[in-house]
Amino acid sequence: MSVTVLFFGPLVDVTGIRTLILQQVTDTDSLRQQLHARYPTLINAQYLLAVDKQITKENTALKDNETVALLPPYAGG
Amino acid sequence: MKIRKPKNIFIQGAIAPSFIADSIQHHSSKTQIGGHSIFLGQVRSDEIDGKQVAAIEYTAYEEMAQEKMHEIREAVIEKYSLTCMHVHHSLGKVNAGEICFFVFTSSPHRKAATEACNEMVERVKAELPIWGKELFEDESYQWKVNQ
Repeated sequence: MSVTVLFFGPLVDVTGIRTLILQQVTDTDSLRQQLHARYPTLINAQYLLAVDKQITKENTALKDNETVALLPPYAGG
Repeated sequence: MKIRKPKNIFIQGAIAPSFIADSIQHHSSKTQIGGHSIFLGQVRSDEIDGKQVAAIEYTAYEEMAQEKMHEIREAVIEKYSLTCMHVHHSLGKVNAGEICFFVFTSSPHRKAATEACNEMVERVKAELPIWGKELFEDESYQWKVNQ
């Protein structure tokens, strides 16, 4: 089971990449844990999670091939 | 209720003044319109720590932004009974002094157009996943934060 993770804005500076495929991650809490372990600077970064383009603030179960985006504060308009 | 297709709001680079003029021209056949309201966002040359912002480079979660924009459009058109509404936002590099954001609302009477335009500007700034890198003249940068 794999999930695509997308990084945006200043988070691309933190991770050095825009996309990552993660295996064996069943919910958003464990996704965060894996990302924080890989990129400790993310621990204090401000961002919301969007699962398949829907913002989710609580732990959410993930399905195979879903896309999770890390969205720092918006700056458009 | 009219079903509208999602529109692509993104334009590569700056929005040309001629694009805005053409948009106005395209509405001259919609003779039920009595008022247009237009907002233009321009890249401002802020001074930060003694450096001038030379440009902003915009990126977005495009798919999510298009979907969200469609939701907001439908809600605002219905709320104000607008005849028409167009929103465009730049992606990529836009130099200071150039236009990066264009909201254009039209209605039979002016109040709806003005209020809808104001609401759209605020909602785009608050709800669309768009980010901007402020590029300084010396090629360093910092990430833009909305006020």
